[in-house]
Amino acid sequence: MTYAAEISRANPSCFVFLVDQSASMTDPIGGGRQRKADVVADAINRLLAELSVKCAKEEGVRDYFHVAVIGYGHAVGSAFTGPLAGRDLVPLSQVADRPARVEKRTKKVPDGAGGLVETTTRFPVWVDPVAHGPTPMCRALESAESLVSDWVSRHPDSFPPIVLNLTDGDSTDGDPASAAWAVQTHVTADGAALLFNLHVSATNAVPVTFPDTDVALPDAYARTLFGMSSPLPPHMRFYALQQGVPAGDLARGFVYNADITSLVQFLDIGTRATDLR
Amino acid sequence: MVTSSLRVPKHGHTLRECEDASHVLTTGPVCVAVADGASESLLAGEWADLLARTLTEAARDDDCVLRDVDGFASALVRAGEAWGGWLADYVAGREADGRPIAWYEQPKLDRGPHAAVVAARFDTDPSGVTRWDVAALGDSCLFHTRDDRLLHAFPIESAEAFDNSPGLVNAFIRDHALLARHVRTSSGTAEPGDRFFLGTDALAAWFLRAAERGDRPWDVLAEFTRSSDLDGFTAWVARAREEGLMRNDDVTVVLVDLG
Repeated sequence: MTYAAEISRANPSCFVFLVDQSASMTDPIGGGRQRKADVVADAINRLLAELSVKCAKEEGVRDYFHVAVIGYGHAVGSAFTGPLAGRDLVPLSQVADRPARVEKRTKKVPDGAGGLVETTTRFPVWVDPVAHGPTPMCRALESAESLVSDWVSRHPDSFPPIVLNLTDGDSTDGDPASAAWAVQTHVTADGAALLFNLHVSATNAVPVTFPDTDVALPDAYARTLFGMSSPLPPHMRFYALQQGVPAGDLARGFVYNADITSLVQFLDIGTRATDLR
Repeated sequence: MVTSSLRVPKHGHTLRECEDASHVLTTGPVCVAVADGASESLLAGEWADLLARTLTEAARDDDCVLRDVDGFASALVRAGEAWGGWLADYVAGREADGRPIAWYEQPKLDRGPHAAVVAARFDTDPSGVTRWDVAALGDSCLFHTRDDRLLHAFPIESAEAFDNSPGLVNAFIRDHALLARHVRTSSGTAEPGDRFFLGTDALAAWFLRAAERGDRPWDVLAEFTRSSDLDGFTAWVARAREEGLMRNDDVTVVLVDLG
């Protein structure tokens, strides 16, 4: 059986995030006013926070994952700011303990009586929005492939690495399909590395989450990214469905102008803390 | 009546990191609880411990607690109320130690820990007949055996029925009706010589699989529990995991041997 390896401190897995930091990321996301660069930075910071919380125990965050964040725009390299600047794969405990800063944000939560009440939460930041230069997606994928290749040679029995590319899709250094395929040729005993894509677009089209076909996608960039994305392993589809996110048998790890942080909840690190219904 | 408990952490974890707990009271009726903290929760082991302790005391003080779903649900709510005080002390202690709650702990503390639990009470009358009552929420189990037979498996009867999302008691839940809907209870009588095993899910799944194959897993467990042979049990659990017979998880078993 594939994609069933236990994720533990003795047998960790790895996450490589690729963040599009090109000049086109200054455009607003379709149907909204937020810049794509802000949306993507926010998504990365929330993903890292969710992953840290998921792996948190009383003594700190457990190193079930090692994490890299690679930015691509005027250069290709680590996108961490603050104490982790310049680092590639970092154990998750260090990610959790060393954000660039922890901001206070307000959010509205149910007040238990049918209304909403404003509350303050701590929001750690590791990656700032950047929008400068071209979109060297092929080089970014090659950089991810290098990290993935090294990881699987050192952790041959691990849950396969997951690469998550967040982009507006317009590669300027060639067709990214073959570089994307190369990432997925690296395998552990538990399966091939997974490549997922979050497409943030200025086009005001209907958001799409984990589709099983590219028919409804609005443009060629979206279809290219869909084609580059790995099928969701069965257990991830199961958890997606459990959370009310539709994911068919052929669902790909592709999201268009929609939230992707639920991905963290598709990972298994032990008995889930599920509320009774 | 003889009782014995064994606990082995998940491979790769220390005993301190084990999030199973058990509690046994032998003054008066024998009361036993086994609880299994969910690995995704914060302070899951501490909640499992408080739950096991509170429920055994509740079962000792009131023979109805394990007999109906409402009684058990009320006891679960009371355990949750006790958690509030425990947590306030914990947070104050962390502050005093200069280790305030980190940003990544807060969401899980706010959500509260989760655990599965099974609790049982054994009361022997002067004629030697033992009445037993058991209540559970989740996938921690009780097995009643006699000689070479499994008489009763509770609340899960088949190895197939275990999954990664069992019913769990959250420390902050106060919805009595919701808890009661998920509680299972059972009662019966037992004879001298009968043995009961209470265990957490990985062991329970192994037990049922072995029983379904026609093996006698109760003999394996009795070998270690009757002599409280923790080293032997730990080595056996390690072998079972290596051979793929048991999922890598915390393991707890409590034997109640009517002798």
